[in-house]
Amino acid sequence: MFGSAASSLAASSHGGEVSVLTDLFYGFSIALQPMNLLACFFGVFIGTLVGVLPGIGPAGAMSLLLPISYGISPVGAIIMLAGIYYGCMYGGSTTSILVNIPGEAASVVTCLDGHQMALQGRAGPALGISAFGSFIAGTFGLIGLMFLANPLAELALKFGPSEYFCLMCLGMSVLIYLTQGSILRGLVMAGVGLFLGLIGQDIVTGTPRYTFGLIGLVDGLGLIPLVMGLYGISEILLNLEKPSQRAIVETKITDLFPNREDWRKSAKPIARGTLLGFFLGILPGGGAVISSFVSYALEKKFSRHPEQFGKGAIEGVAGPESANNSASSGSFIPLFSLGIPANVIMALLLGALMIHGLRPGPLLLKQNPEIFWGTLASMYVGNAMLLALNLPLIGIWVKVLKIPYRTLFPLILLFCLIGAYSVGTNIFDIFVMLFFGVLGYILRKFNYEPAPLILAFVLGPMLEQNLRQALMLSDGNLTVFFTRPLSAASLIVCLFLLVSAIFPSLQRKRSVVAVEGD
Amino acid sequence: MNTQLGRKVEGFPWIALGTAISVLSWQSQMGSLREPGPGFIGFIAGLFVAVIGLIMVLTVFTSRGSLRGGAGTDITFPIAARPRLLYTVVLLIGYGLLLNTLGYIVTTFLVMWGLFYERGKGRLISSCFASVVTAVITYLVFDVWLRCQFPRGIFPWR
Repeated sequence: MFGSAASSLAASSHGGEVSVLTDLFYGFSIALQPMNLLACFFGVFIGTLVGVLPGIGPAGAMSLLLPISYGISPVGAIIMLAGIYYGCMYGGSTTSILVNIPGEAASVVTCLDGHQMALQGRAGPALGISAFGSFIAGTFGLIGLMFLANPLAELALKFGPSEYFCLMCLGMSVLIYLTQGSILRGLVMAGVGLFLGLIGQDIVTGTPRYTFGLIGLVDGLGLIPLVMGLYGISEILLNLEKPSQRAIVETKITDLFPNREDWRKSAKPIARGTLLGFFLGILPGGGAVISSFVSYALEKKFSRHPEQFGKGAIEGVAGPESANNSASSGSFIPLFSLGIPANVIMALLLGALMIHGLRPGPLLLKQNPEIFWGTLASMYVGNAMLLALNLPLIGIWVKVLKIPYRTLFPLILLFCLIGAYSVGTNIFDIFVMLFFGVLGYILRKFNYEPAPLILAFVLGPMLEQNLRQALMLSDGNLTVFFTRPLSAASLIVCLFLLVSAIFPSLQRKRSVVAVEGD
Repeated sequence: MNTQLGRKVEGFPWIALGTAISVLSWQSQMGSLREPGPGFIGFIAGLFVAVIGLIMVLTVFTSRGSLRGGAGTDITFPIAARPRLLYTVVLLIGYGLLLNTLGYIVTTFLVMWGLFYERGKGRLISSCFASVVTAVITYLVFDVWLRCQFPRGIFPWR
């Protein structure tokens, strides 16, 4: 029944005359198919698990499970991978609140007040407001995604290679500017990532380049071994240096439903976090981590009692948790409408779409509406699943936290080895992963963030293609990047960000913002 | 390596790497602005890395007073962790070297035993049991169920 309704709706969708709600109904007809429902559940379950467990973030988990997605339909694969991402945003708060260790980067700020609430015997309301705030923000974020992605895709059809090239440069520049630590280090990482993305056959002539005679490099470096190395292996090597003891708050978790006073205090932070997170999520380079920090700083500024922040203020949990979930929905917009990933997670989703033979970009919504609407509808379903997973099953997640690291880390290493090997059933990929694991360990010791490298690695081939096309079409005329309004505006912002990397006074201002966020 | 020394020298490897990338790109045809070749973007990327490395060096040598490491900078390699790190990396390299020869189950068992044994503070039997269970379960899930096709090796099983 769903199939026929779906196909007829899909057909009408191509005509572009159906409403958003009809498209959404079509999406639900796909998302509610048993296999896709299972993929969604698996994704959000694994996402929550990964979020709860410190040591492996959403990027590592997604790259680990990407090979599994080969066996299922493209829409099922994207539903599962998206589920891991937003599931992680939910799960990350549990460890932040109970252990004071963020399960993933976007939950760092939740530690400040969430853990204090737990120490005061209010772990239940902290976990509750975090789950409800995440649900509300995630749902509103999806509504925004639903209404914005399509018009943006229509607009993007008018873009030429010069606009795409400049937008990609802008995306990388913003990511570098917003990542923690030195901008210069971020720029170096982006340059290296760009080079790594070029290894393999040239897109125009087909000649191998930078392969050093290695057959394994002719097809280029794999995204999965690279991400697993830089995130998974390097994280484990860093953790091996630290003692593996975790102090979980020994308290009975009751009152998961926040009381009226908690809701009164949290309503506005949730609303502000939702809006802020969504728009920061859309921005290239923005995302869950940045939005949670900005939301915390914003709530502290808006609060009548800023001195209570860091001592168990529920607003300090509600705002950032809402912001990071809303941002995770917003960051899908540039991917689906422009084909440009806003962050590393979206870069992995882009890779997954390409592995399944799909070309992300404005035409994806027209040619494969089932991918966009199916994924979007599944996110509504997934958000409801997460609410059920996070509140009644909180006891299970607390037990998971008690698994000793000495048991977990060999298993994570094995999953990384299996994941790297199974992408191309190639031993070479294992060595690539190990190389980048050790490199990532050294780079992170020197405070180099791997995110710009990965984003540049993914965008590199697209960036090259668009630059070469733009230059060939303009007969080598470089002014093509400055005469079109969008290209010019993007490049001006890029230049401003680059100049700010060189002038120390601007760098200091950026550091002040970061410290305020901290 | 301490933080100050780390910051002083960190620009040099990037200058070297950037220069190497640029030279390699130059050799693989730069083309022209009208028709950029395979080495065009690589050359720009290399030049970019080298210039940023140079800025890093100049920033360090022109700045007065004490050098500040970025927030959270930790350029220390704890001596106590070195053998453990080396041991783990060697085991992982061994996995890559032995996988095709010994097959999935035997290689996974050996490497997992090594990892569980080291972190389990020398519990021989329990770490052996955990490795067998891990190798068999992951084999069933990934090879039999998900059909990942692990190498068979010299033994009649995978």
